[in-house]
Amino acid sequence: MRFLQLIVLGFVALTVIYWLVSIYSRSVRREKLENSWAEEAPEGADEAMRDAYIAEGMAKYENGLRKKLILLIYVIPPVVTAAIILAIN
Amino acid sequence: MRNIRRVIRITIFLVLAVWLHYVLPQRDVARVISTEVIRTDFTSFNRLFYAQADTGGAEQPTRDLRLINTERVNTYLFGLIRAGRETMVYRNEDTGWIYPPYFKFDSSDLQAEAAGVISTAEPHDWVVITHYGWRIRWLTIYPNAVSISPLPEGAGPEYRPFPWVNIVIYAAMLGAVFFARAMWRQFRERTIDPLTDRVEHKVDEVNAGLAERRSRIGRWLDSWKSKPRK
Repeated sequence: MRFLQLIVLGFVALTVIYWLVSIYSRSVRREKLENSWAEEAPEGADEAMRDAYIAEGMAKYENGLRKKLILLIYVIPPVVTAAIILAIN
Repeated sequence: MRNIRRVIRITIFLVLAVWLHYVLPQRDVARVISTEVIRTDFTSFNRLFYAQADTGGAEQPTRDLRLINTERVNTYLFGLIRAGRETMVYRNEDTGWIYPPYFKFDSSDLQAEAAGVISTAEPHDWVVITHYGWRIRWLTIYPNAVSISPLPEGAGPEYRPFPWVNIVIYAAMLGAVFFARAMWRQFRERTIDPLTDRVEHKVDEVNAGLAERRSRIGRWLDSWKSKPRK
């Protein structure tokens, strides 16, 4: 019963962390894109081109490796837990 | 206000430090004198400082408690200074699945190991006992032994275990704190600040509108004032 409690509570906690970290990561990426646009925007670029540039960068991010790495949040704690169980018992 | 905030901050820090001191592993150099089992009835207060019944068993208001009686090398200042000997009694309980997260299920095996390293005759056999918790005699609270390991070859009671695990845990906690702070800053910069900016802008607009209207009303009121006589 305690084991189920651990699984459920752990899953909820990790989901909250995953959610927060993915929002953070997305926000950082968007800021980076905005900054790089501010630095090297082509001459005569308008708002629509900027939005397209950022949308393209965000689409690349959504399919990229970095976003998948955030899934490690679900992997590492169970692995650490298993390692502790093996080491202690 | 500033003082209140400071007091709250110090209190939180102290509670956290005390809790970490209770819950993080410590390693003692000790020799086992005997092992025993006593029946235990908890009070509602010292119940806090005991784990639950063995993981596979049922929880009852009263139960047996495994104890490991030892003589250990005394430690002061978080183990930085090790000198002298003192009697120390460890309890030996399953921590189970939740708290504290040692995931210890092998109390019976540990009791057998402890019985196996009993050393009453000189020269003594010293072992390293990993434990967490405190010994508070007037509350009948014991630290919980987590594992027993032999000393490295040729080491005696002056051996000093190095707290690798604690250092890793502290480093991870520090990293988590910095990460959380970075997340909070990003959130404030990208979400809260633009919002407050917009609200402030709105407030400014409303105020300007009010001022405009008031001046219009004022002008109308002024029109009722008597004209300066020629």
